[in-house]
Amino acid sequence: MFEFFFKYPLSVFSRGTFVLLGGWPRWVLWAGLIAVGVVLAYLVHRRAAGSVRVNAVRQAAVWMLQTLLIATLLLMLWHPALSIATLRTQQNIVAVLVDDSASMAHPDEAAGATRRASAVQVLNSGLLKSLQDKFQVRLYRLTDHLERFDKLEQLTSSGRATHIGDGLKQVVADAASLPIGAVVLMSDGADNSGGVDLETIAEIRRQRIPIHTIGFGQEKPSRDVEISDAQLPARALPDSRLGAIVSFHQHGYAGQKATITLREKQKVLAQQQVTLKGDGVEQSETVLFNAGAAGVRTVETTIEPLPGEENAKNNMVTRLVNVDQRKPRILYLEGEPRWEFKFLRRAVEDDQNIDLVTMLRTTQNKIYRQGIADPHELEDGFPAKVEQLFAFDGLIIGSVDAPYLTPTQQTLIHDFVDRRGGGVLFLGGKDALSDGGWKQSTDVDLLPVTLPDRKDTFFRVGATVELTAAGRDSLITRLEDDPAKNVERWKKLPYVMNFQDPGQPKPGAVVLVDALPTTGGRVPLLITQNFGRGRTAVFGTGGSWRWQMLQPVADKSHEMFYQQLLRWLVSDTPRKVTTSTPKQVISDDAHVSLRAQVRDRTYLQASDAKTEAHILGPDGLADTVEMRPDALEAGLYTADWTTPQAGSYLVEVVSTRGAEELGRDTITFRREDGVAENFHTEQNRELLEKLASETGGKYYKPEDAQKLGKDINYSEAGITVRETRDLWDMPIVFLLLLVLRSGEWLLRRKWGVI
Amino acid sequence: MRLRSALSLLTIAVAGWGVLRAQRPFRDYPGVEYENFPLPPDWQQTAEWTRARLRYPSFLAPHGIRDGYRRWTIDYPRSDRHLLQGIRRLTRIDTRSVEQVVDLDGEDDVYNWPMMYAVEVGYWNLPDEQAAQLRDFLLRGGFFMCDDFHGTIEWDNFVASMKRVFPDREIVDLDNKDPIFHVIYDLDDRFQVPGLQYVYSGSLFEYDGFQAEWRGIYDDKGRLMVVICHNMDLGDAWEHSDNPVYPEKFAALAYRIAVNYVTYDLTH
Repeated sequence: MFEFFFKYPLSVFSRGTFVLLGGWPRWVLWAGLIAVGVVLAYLVHRRAAGSVRVNAVRQAAVWMLQTLLIATLLLMLWHPALSIATLRTQQNIVAVLVDDSASMAHPDEAAGATRRASAVQVLNSGLLKSLQDKFQVRLYRLTDHLERFDKLEQLTSSGRATHIGDGLKQVVADAASLPIGAVVLMSDGADNSGGVDLETIAEIRRQRIPIHTIGFGQEKPSRDVEISDAQLPARALPDSRLGAIVSFHQHGYAGQKATITLREKQKVLAQQQVTLKGDGVEQSETVLFNAGAAGVRTVETTIEPLPGEENAKNNMVTRLVNVDQRKPRILYLEGEPRWEFKFLRRAVEDDQNIDLVTMLRTTQNKIYRQGIADPHELEDGFPAKVEQLFAFDGLIIGSVDAPYLTPTQQTLIHDFVDRRGGGVLFLGGKDALSDGGWKQSTDVDLLPVTLPDRKDTFFRVGATVELTAAGRDSLITRLEDDPAKNVERWKKLPYVMNFQDPGQPKPGAVVLVDALPTTGGRVPLLITQNFGRGRTAVFGTGGSWRWQMLQPVADKSHEMFYQQLLRWLVSDTPRKVTTSTPKQVISDDAHVSLRAQVRDRTYLQASDAKTEAHILGPDGLADTVEMRPDALEAGLYTADWTTPQAGSYLVEVVSTRGAEELGRDTITFRREDGVAENFHTEQNRELLEKLASETGGKYYKPEDAQKLGKDINYSEAGITVRETRDLWDMPIVFLLLLVLRSGEWLLRRKWGVI
Repeated sequence: MRLRSALSLLTIAVAGWGVLRAQRPFRDYPGVEYENFPLPPDWQQTAEWTRARLRYPSFLAPHGIRDGYRRWTIDYPRSDRHLLQGIRRLTRIDTRSVEQVVDLDGEDDVYNWPMMYAVEVGYWNLPDEQAAQLRDFLLRGGFFMCDDFHGTIEWDNFVASMKRVFPDREIVDLDNKDPIFHVIYDLDDRFQVPGLQYVYSGSLFEYDGFQAEWRGIYDDKGRLMVVICHNMDLGDAWEHSDNPVYPEKFAALAYRIAVNYVTYDLTH
């Protein structure tokens, strides 16, 4: 339709430059337009003078129509045209990139064939011939790399991934030596490399190569459930309760029930039934499971396939959890023998994976130590040296007044959190928090609350407890797997025997539990926050022991609460060498990045260490990679490595400084092939459209793809010639003249002034 | 206005009920030896810890009539108040100045007082339901100390009730190496602590209780939950620690034992 009225396709107008080919100066046109306007205004006004039928508004309408008519005729006299760059016939190359990844083997319901077959059909239906008539056509097969091919029969949809960005980069590189005039990308847009980076787009724009995209596949599946992600902690302590945050979306099953299952080697770790939300709505559910014994957990997260699902392969993702062998040590300093001390120790005693060392001031001059590694440990009291305190992973400070610790010890505690990355839990008590003078301590920064200025904040008054919104989601306070039952269980917990007003939570702190004193009011009871590399918490009571004494023997609320709280306190406490990788499971990708944070004995960043990664892989594969210090971040060492094949890999990073070994750490990762293409199988039209619009190209549906044969001529890349296209003979011009003239006539007739 | 007043009263009543439910308030009882014993000036001051004294049905009142024969009040409350002062002075335990009398009456209040003491248990006679509650109390984490019973007959009577509490747990002699004898004081060299009768009779023992016996019952994790002081009278030693005629060395040991036992309870 557009082309009928305007003579040329829209792309000519969008790419072309408007020019006036007439020989007369342009100012004469402007002067003529003004003169015509003035003269017509005078004439219309004079002729209408005294007429009651032609008021000022009608005069203006007549003047405008007549002026536009003459202005259009004047403009045509100046010979308007479009100047546009056009690819020279047979002197340019058009690169046709055909997605040949596994996702192109999925059915294209609109075409009744596979996406690959649709693409071949489009090319064979004249597009390829029309391109070959005008250009040299290079066919490329696009998967996780780009390679040329000659015959369409060579397409197999066997590529294990689609890396559109990498493919385009290669085309751009070729354009430096070849006259590539345009790129045609035929794909479903299901890119597995995270999209096309801005750098590549910028380079394409600089070279002015238009990328025309033809999209295949449904933009929305009819009946499918797909897992978008499953977030599991990379590391955990043995027997920890962990949460797998499973994100997914669905089409065609809104309101139906589905079952999420966590498995390891066919053994079901956890199952949870969920109700599916609306079509396309991203949904997240947390499934709790036990980390089990030390070792590597390969956890398969599955949404059990529903009847009639089009693609069941996107219902499962695999994640790894490294369950550490280590047994974190927590030092508990208590200022007075009290029930909370006894029952906290008993609660943690059942936890075989936490080593609780306690120091209790029994009398004015005596300290009773329990859980010590040897008779000399802590014999001089609370640690006063970095190495002594930093040997622990966590710290609990009970009813201890701050002045009991020297300024050096208080600074050590600060560094323990900030630099060491340890966790500190402050309990409530008669000598704790504000009442213990911690407001004046150098450790006041650590606290997740702004302590009150007074010293009467500890009350021996019963208080019920209630989970906050954050507490309902937290694993620390999860006593029941079912969130609703968990809330109810907390409501039924007995009173805590006492509570302490901790003050206002600081910005960034999270209140998990509130206390509701029997005397009225509400105060935060359990508050957590991250600080520096570590984390801190306040549990403002010394009376949670009542949860143990006032409930049946079989009830484990108190034990579970403290075990989960203490595991949170120390599970992320880093070692001297901490290794990580952005993805522990890499799907259809050979590259892996390794990072190691290296600290010395006092947990200062060690940038002068020698750090090596020893890698063990499948089939006895072994390699050693030297990790290089990062230029921007002290103590960080990185390395990139290419996995030769799919399988599980174990990496042990060892860091040394001279003869001294600073530390070592192990991590596992896994490469899976043939997985990525099962996900995001719907057409990513947004990516294809954006790619086209950013580069001056156009997005086509397969049924419109034949138009590409004409549009592709206009490009500023490659070898071009600038052509002019006349505009004066566009049908729209004659139509406009006719409308203006007849419009005036009709108006005059209506007003009776003809 | 009436509705608002009624709601206010209801709120106060619920809050009051809550506090009561949390912990019963202190109450003074008439004893065998003392009535209207003066209360210390700070008796209303709340604190972290106090020792509960078990009001048990005794052998001489086998039908469970409360206070029918007040064996449980022997030495009460003078012994308790002296001991509490001692604990407060010798340790950092935030100690109330008065004891708490508790019952195994099927209610929850006894669980609010995890350290329980009973005197003259050679005369106690726990019915099954009370024995069951004592067992529950101990398995939840409570601690029970008994004292001031002597000889074979009283021992057998004590065991008869204790077997109803723990039919399958053995009463064992405590080893000198047990932490309970070292938590604050090293009490390797213990001796028999006689009651006030020693002042008049010169005898360290009563009946056929010639040797002090330090016994106990452990839980499944090797923690003492019942400590038994047989053939000794620590209660008298605390009671008469301000009595010039009672030898200081007995009172001193009795205090040390109590300090260790109480601290052991709060640390294990």
